Amino acid sequence: MNLLNQLKQKIRNPTSRKRLLLTVSGVFIVMGWFANWILNAPLMFNAMMITATLLAGYDIVSRAWQGLKNRHTNIELLVSIAAVGGLAIGVYWESAAVTFLFLLGGWLEARTLSKTRSTLKELIDMAPETAIVLEDGQQNEIPAREVQSGSLILVKPGGKIPVDGIVESGHTTVDESMVTGESMPAEKQEGDEVFAGTINRNGSIRLRATHSGGDTTLAKIIRRVEEAQEEKAPTQRFIERFATWYTPGIVVLSIGSFAFTQDLELALTLLVIGCPGALVISTPISIITGIGRAAKKGILIKGGEYLENAGKITALALDKTGTLTEGNPKVTNVLNFKSTAVSVGGTYEEESILATPKTFDKNGKESFSGEQQDILYWASIAESASEHPLADAILAATDNNSEIAEADRFTAHTGQGIEAEYQSNDILVGKPKFIKEQGVTVNGQVAKEIEKLAASGRTVVLVALNGELIGALGIMDTMRPDAPQMIEKLRDYGIERLLMITGDSPETAGYIAGGAGIDEVHARMLPEDKLEVVKKLQKEGYKVAMTGDGINDAPALAAADLGIAMAAAGTDVAIETADLALMSDDLMKIPEALSLSKKTLGNIRQNVVVALVTVTALLAGVFMGSVQMAGGMLIHELSVMAVILNGMRLRWA
Amino acid sequence: MESLTKTILRSDELSCPSCVSNIESTLNNMDGIEQAKVHFNTGRIEVEHNTDTVSEQDLIEAIQNTGYEAKVSQF
Repeated sequence: MNLLNQLKQKIRNPTSRKRLLLTVSGVFIVMGWFANWILNAPLMFNAMMITATLLAGYDIVSRAWQGLKNRHTNIELLVSIAAVGGLAIGVYWESAAVTFLFLLGGWLEARTLSKTRSTLKELIDMAPETAIVLEDGQQNEIPAREVQSGSLILVKPGGKIPVDGIVESGHTTVDESMVTGESMPAEKQEGDEVFAGTINRNGSIRLRATHSGGDTTLAKIIRRVEEAQEEKAPTQRFIERFATWYTPGIVVLSIGSFAFTQDLELALTLLVIGCPGALVISTPISIITGIGRAAKKGILIKGGEYLENAGKITALALDKTGTLTEGNPKVTNVLNFKSTAVSVGGTYEEESILATPKTFDKNGKESFSGEQQDILYWASIAESASEHPLADAILAATDNNSEIAEADRFTAHTGQGIEAEYQSNDILVGKPKFIKEQGVTVNGQVAKEIEKLAASGRTVVLVALNGELIGALGIMDTMRPDAPQMIEKLRDYGIERLLMITGDSPETAGYIAGGAGIDEVHARMLPEDKLEVVKKLQKEGYKVAMTGDGINDAPALAAADLGIAMAAAGTDVAIETADLALMSDDLMKIPEALSLSKKTLGNIRQNVVVALVTVTALLAGVFMGSVQMAGGMLIHELSVMAVILNGMRLRWA
Repeated sequence: MESLTKTILRSDELSCPSCVSNIESTLNNMDGIEQAKVHFNTGRIEVEHNTDTVSEQDLIEAIQNTGYEAKVSQF
């Protein structure tokens, strides 16, 4: 009784029913051949084969019927007609083989496909179920998606971070590989942003929740990846159109050839190979695997179309700030002009101006000598009240910058410079033009040095104390150390045109481009100029990719064949809008993303070729009489499996 | 009062894009289902249904009747 119930359960469940039917039908086929060869009992052979056909055919016929009820003609219908027709004309073995192989193929394909779909499942499983909320000194464990924004959350060492939030207290390292694709754990302390799904390694931290459940960066990534996988690539759309007329076409061909040759078996064999299985699956399998693989590396691709585009890129326009450079300007040179006034031994020493001895402090930060610090000190007093981006750079370069005194009086001349007074000292900090206008003399050797500094791509800021020029600061957004390596990789990969587009001055742009190894520079570009550059490249026949921050680059990014956003984790706009978003700030992900896309594109092409060759060969084989029903089905199913397995290779790309 | 909900189910068993139309039409022909969409690539099944007439279990069974196993999913 119990056994019967179990069997009932198995028959109700489609998966186990399929397996059961397959096994039993397979056993009957084996027994049939046994009866034929060993016992030499053709009648028994036929009976066994008919039983096998009916068993394996049950599932197929029921699906064909389902389809008919919904007014669809599907592949199952063709296979059913072929199998029934085979029984009618007495080719029992052929019928059994067709139904058995079709069922076996479907089962194997579903199994392998579910493996491909599992990349995403791993991401979904990454999200922890519960969070420990701290309230009035009490610890409460609640479902993670119910955490209110603003709640205080405790994360223990080794625990998963349950929500997006800001670290309130504590210090730890966090493994963010699932969100950013970055394998190096990130240091986190007060004020740093953390993401749900990442793993807290060694310290206990408290964080203030900002997003939970479906609003977290992880959930957005998952949604993005899924939408991307579901969005059909141009190749897939084309093939699906092809498939919609392929199947009816085969049916017409089958009827036509029967009318012509009166050969029923030939007509039925045509029906068997009428399923465009390998063809329709050739593109989706590569796209699902490619996009899933990319997501694991922290590369979000908007969809199949963009994946195909990314694989064809021949020109790449890089913005300077934030992509090739660190994105925050630093003081790189401090020229000391005081030596002219207080010159050693009363003589002017040329070298003393040029030499900007650089030393590094214990944190590896550039630090400047005592006299240079003196200049920075005065500049900092004037800049401390300013909100200009360069002010931050000057303050950061100054020692003990937390103890900088506030100026007694302070006037900012927007875009020009600052006038300040501190303990009866007049300080002027600003552009060379501004300083000269204020009546400070800049001449001779000093003027040449300033020009030289400006020519090297630095923004020059002069510092004058009580009407006398004491020094010049060279400020620059420094190049990322891995930029040259990335450019080299991109060239190896086959990008023909690499160019830099920036709104900055030609000197600054040229200096960074030279260091990175880019020879084409477009400087002082306004947003519409950038757009023009992209359009011109496209006119010349290039497939153009462009990196940018998405705000002033927006028109050019939209026009480019592929818009790339960097460091997108935590910025919703980038995740939602970029064609290709790199979750981390790692430059090397750009060549990696392009190369993975190219591999995926290649994979799709291989699959389409395999599918087309199979279909053509089968059709030719049927008409030449060398392919029978069973053989046709076998080759067909093998080609589907070949395509799926080939697509799965991308998991390790 | 009608209470429409969106339920997401997932099936690992879609092996041929033609199954999609089968499941989709079966669901769309059911009373109490506003709209059903099946995504072949990810195996995701989105159903907008009236919870008073169609329960999650009904959805699972309907899909089962077309020959596929599906589970309700959070996302």
